[in-house]
Amino acid sequence: MTSLIAFFEGLGLEGVLALSAAYALCIASLLGFITVYAMFAIWMERKVAAHIQVRYGPMETGAWHGWAQSVADAVKLLFKEDLIPPEGNKFLFWIAPAVVFCGVFAGFIAIPFAEGMQIVDLHLGVFFIMAIASVEVIGVIMAGWASNSKYSLFGAVREAAQVVSYEIPAATALLVPILVVGSFRLGDFNAFQADHGWLVLYNPFLTVAALIYFISSLAGCKRAPFDLPEAESELVSGFHTEYSGMRFSFFFLEEYASMFVAAALTATLFFGGWNLFPWGGGWEPAPLAPVILISKIFFFIFVQMWLRWTLPRLRVDQVMAMGYKYLVPWAFVCLIGAAWFEYMGWGGLFS
Amino acid sequence: MGAIRDYFGNISSALTTAAKGMRITWRYFKHEPPITIQYPRERVEPPPSYRGLHILQQDKCIDCHLCAKACPVDCIEIEAIHHGRTLEWKQFSIDYKKCIFCEFCIPVCPVDCIHMTSEYELATEDPDGMVEDLLTWTGLRPEDQRAVEAAVNKKKGVAAPATIESAKGAPEPGSAEDKAAKIAAIKARLKKGSA
Repeated sequence: MTSLIAFFEGLGLEGVLALSAAYALCIASLLGFITVYAMFAIWMERKVAAHIQVRYGPMETGAWHGWAQSVADAVKLLFKEDLIPPEGNKFLFWIAPAVVFCGVFAGFIAIPFAEGMQIVDLHLGVFFIMAIASVEVIGVIMAGWASNSKYSLFGAVREAAQVVSYEIPAATALLVPILVVGSFRLGDFNAFQADHGWLVLYNPFLTVAALIYFISSLAGCKRAPFDLPEAESELVSGFHTEYSGMRFSFFFLEEYASMFVAAALTATLFFGGWNLFPWGGGWEPAPLAPVILISKIFFFIFVQMWLRWTLPRLRVDQVMAMGYKYLVPWAFVCLIGAAWFEYMGWGGLFS
Repeated sequence: MGAIRDYFGNISSALTTAAKGMRITWRYFKHEPPITIQYPRERVEPPPSYRGLHILQQDKCIDCHLCAKACPVDCIEIEAIHHGRTLEWKQFSIDYKKCIFCEFCIPVCPVDCIHMTSEYELATEDPDGMVEDLLTWTGLRPEDQRAVEAAVNKKKGVAAPATIESAKGAPEPGSAEDKAAKIAAIKARLKKGSA
């Protein structure tokens, strides 16, 4: 970011202008990245689903294995009629997709793809991503309320209950690596894991914490088996039942973008970030760092898809029981155990 | 103690069943080839007893109208003028808008001249084209006619006069040429029917 501002100042722009130009460029490139990624992820999801169900999936659009299917879908969504329920709250209905998308979009600015390759190097990066991702719930409740439909409202209420509940184990599980590394800054995790190896292997409590965070992030992204907010067999499609066209596609974009953020956090905090091997790194050439991180992220996105087509949807009470009876206590056990290990100076398989 | 055993039992069963399920879906993902086919490019060969479009062997037909009487939906229209033992055909048409493909018209035929092929691609853009005049088969090229004969023989399970026919260059029933000829014949017929 600072280097970008310096670049624009070098072009002869004054202070505020250079800052605005740098932010505009960052936001535009991020939007482009998220859109292209989401299209690819949707295509990937359809192919993974198809092959798990012994089908082919999209094969016709575009020459090779239907690669252009998502592009065609996006064009279709652009030209679809934008319906607003006449009895609903028009303003909330109109703004809800933007609120939902903004929460996830803001999370992207703190993700470091390589040393210095992040938009804002926040000292509270993990905290910021967790906090800003919660904004999404407000948008979902807005969407559910403004739609004036019982299915939308049920979906929104379920979403609120589920996401708020699963933020407790997710945040507690994230505290475990933070406790070990001693920093909230995402770049510090990469540096620590370059010296000490992947945190998931650092001590047994971190392994369990990684699993807990991954499960909680599934619930946070509304992914199966926690896709209660849009349970198709019960609630039509949950909080976005009444949405169509481009507004609907924003919810879709948000789902895949939040999968990316969750996978990025899992990869950075527990699985070494841009360090290729479990026993540490730091020797990888700098241009390779984003490739390594993004391939890890796509691996976790693939696992999310794999789980979606493996496990059936849980019941509401089962979701709540899993969150409060199993994940929360074990997250606290991990936190206390990791603190104990740190106090005794144990752990560190490769350090 | 039961509650505690249940608690840890739940954890272990959740983990083991998820792992087991993921192993199964991974096997399907990685190792099982897709069982669906890419329809317009790959096709399923229907079983011999498949009830598709009809064909008529016009030279054998005696204008007895038994098939039209057997038809539960009255979709067969027959019209011919008798000149002694020879027939001057006016019409032998099946309205596929009505036809329910019940095959009642086939066994009643005393001279075994009407058959059902395994042609199943009946979609058309023109509803009027769905009234098919089976007499137009007679306007087919000789090789198409032979393909029809081969299809009939295959349908009946007769091993065709294969040696003689193949000597004349007729396609083997079920072979690629036979299929191509059948499809060409059907296309030609649909074109005539809708014209």
